[in-house]
Amino acid sequence: MATEVYRESFERRTKTVRYIRFLEGLADTQVGPIYLGMWGALALFSYLLCVFITAIGFGEQVGYNPIRFLRELPVLTLYPPPPSQGLRMAPLQEGGYWQLATLFLSLTLVFWTIRIWTRAVANGLRPMVPIAFSAALFLYAAIYIIHPIWVNSWNEAPPHGLRGILLWTNHFSVKYGNFYYNPFHMLSIYGLLGSTLILAMHGGTILATLAYGAHREIDEIEKSDEGTHRSQLLWRWVMGFNATAYSIHQWALGFATLTAVAGALGVLFSGPVEPNWYLWACRAGITPAVQAACAP
Amino acid sequence: MVEKENFPAPPPGAVAVYDERQRSILIGELVGLVAFTILALGGVIAISMALADWREFEGFRAESTYNYAGIQQVDFVEYLRRRDQTLAQPSAEALQAYNVWQQQNPRTVNVQVLTKYLGEAYNSTAKVFAYMSKYFTPGVGQSCEYCHNLQNFAAYDKPQKTVAKAMLIMQFELQNKWINSIPRPEGQPLYQLQCATCHNGQAQFWNSVDKNNPTLENLAKFGIAGGGNPTQYDMKHYGITLNGKPPASYEIVDDKLLAARPDANGEVNYFQVTADKTTPPGLNDTYRNQAAMYHMNVALNVGCDFCHYGGYFKSYVTAEGTFKWPKSQSRHMVGMLQDIAINWFPQMPKTDPNRGDYAQPNCWMCHRGHVVPPGAYLPAADEISRQVSDPEIRPLVDLPLPKPKLPKN
Repeated sequence: MATEVYRESFERRTKTVRYIRFLEGLADTQVGPIYLGMWGALALFSYLLCVFITAIGFGEQVGYNPIRFLRELPVLTLYPPPPSQGLRMAPLQEGGYWQLATLFLSLTLVFWTIRIWTRAVANGLRPMVPIAFSAALFLYAAIYIIHPIWVNSWNEAPPHGLRGILLWTNHFSVKYGNFYYNPFHMLSIYGLLGSTLILAMHGGTILATLAYGAHREIDEIEKSDEGTHRSQLLWRWVMGFNATAYSIHQWALGFATLTAVAGALGVLFSGPVEPNWYLWACRAGITPAVQAACAP
Repeated sequence: MVEKENFPAPPPGAVAVYDERQRSILIGELVGLVAFTILALGGVIAISMALADWREFEGFRAESTYNYAGIQQVDFVEYLRRRDQTLAQPSAEALQAYNVWQQQNPRTVNVQVLTKYLGEAYNSTAKVFAYMSKYFTPGVGQSCEYCHNLQNFAAYDKPQKTVAKAMLIMQFELQNKWINSIPRPEGQPLYQLQCATCHNGQAQFWNSVDKNNPTLENLAKFGIAGGGNPTQYDMKHYGITLNGKPPASYEIVDDKLLAARPDANGEVNYFQVTADKTTPPGLNDTYRNQAAMYHMNVALNVGCDFCHYGGYFKSYVTAEGTFKWPKSQSRHMVGMLQDIAINWFPQMPKTDPNRGDYAQPNCWMCHRGHVVPPGAYLPAADEISRQVSDPEIRPLVDLPLPKPKLPKN
């Protein structure tokens, strides 16, 4: 069948293909070839630099003691410079490590996006994956770069570390009133829940068609009245309408990018546009029992 | 190549027929799901065991509505028992010496502080003895001779007595200024500070908690940031200093707290973290604030919503309009903490001149994991201190009372 034909021609072109039977059922059994290329090499190099700088920063905090490093790993944190430093380059131990690590982390993400883009184009595909990924990149940039520059302090950016990122999430919410009342956060949560719902519906639907050979996609497309038709009928019966095999992916992409983009806007507007989302919710009349807590 | 005849025909009634590959996919998914669940659970358990200090906790009490009547003070004797301590009593030798002294001096000799603050009734030696053995001896866990010369109870030849006198003045002054003025709902009892409130049955109580044992709980008792051991880097980064030096660990009493003063409206914004249009950039204040808040969690063994309305931490009222008295009270108490740190501890004499500075006060010092400090007392009628115009020790700086936060109606 077509799948096998594709593999044969592929094998002629490369000798790096391996098949791992163990992966059957979890993923495709074919592993490789992997393409590194310039952007991949740059991304890898930049990422390793970021990890190296972070490791140095952590190492200094534990006196380069491996036991202490392992024990304290969950709480080791690289903090951004203090507010007094503003947007200046800080001394290494007072935020300089964070600045360097963040610089190379950002470069890594940019290089990685370009890498996916060039590979998609080289493969003759529309660059939808890098476009979708750039939504996450926008959220990252909003949190780590654009918002701190807007409020003129790297200190507003999250630290690097397991504890640090959790603390930042809490503290950012506390500082700006209560992030749950941020309408963009609400929208982001809507996108998050929506995309998980859609993914679950889609995954469930595809698995439901197993009996009709839906995993043999090409055979399934060739035969009529098979899984796709039945699953579409299922959703028409259940909710009156159905997505098509194409539109379901548009829905998924839309919801997933909405999560990141709305979240990024929520972060960007915190402070310069609205410093207190709870009071915003009071003004908008969406908090419960508005009169009591809105005028503390 | 997949053989045509192996391809499953749509079964009658849409009953699934599985071929080998379908079975393999399903088994793979099930195995993956189980493996993922086990790994995830195992990971969570492993991480929580690695950070296991907090598992010893009984858990913070989350009481969304504050009802003081429901909060029982832990009896001091019971509190001592849990720490394998017993209530100290005057020794037989001291009792014997007291009996001799009392017969020779039925009226007190050189009693200065008690008569001033509690009234003329304390001119009676027996009365003073009753007060001393009720509060002093159990409070600091020592018999009379720790401070007194048993041949002459009035003498000041032991440095401990000089310290105790200064401490007693501090106790009454703090009571008069801070405890008596605490904002409280009608009917809430007004407890009295006593030696035991801070000392909890030990003469040098600060050494009773092992600061070299940096478990999360121990650290938090000393006002240290939640979430794990702070590193030297943490301290340096946060710029938290105490008298210009980084503290051994995060302290709730830092330079910012010590420098805070009431503004023109009588407001003290020790923990002002919620942003407005003029808030300086950066999250440092928020980090500092959250460390202090976690200290309060541990010190009083309460959850955040004991004091706060969860929807908006800044508010003193809930969405339903319930006034959060504990938030108002803790704000007042932080003022007392500041007063102790600025005005009183620096003036306290020391029994040993080589001893280091007094440690900074914090919530744990008195509360010890309880809403009402185990060492606080409900006073008898003649044990209530009165305002004194000429205290022997005066505050170094005038620290006005913050304007109390009270319900609006």
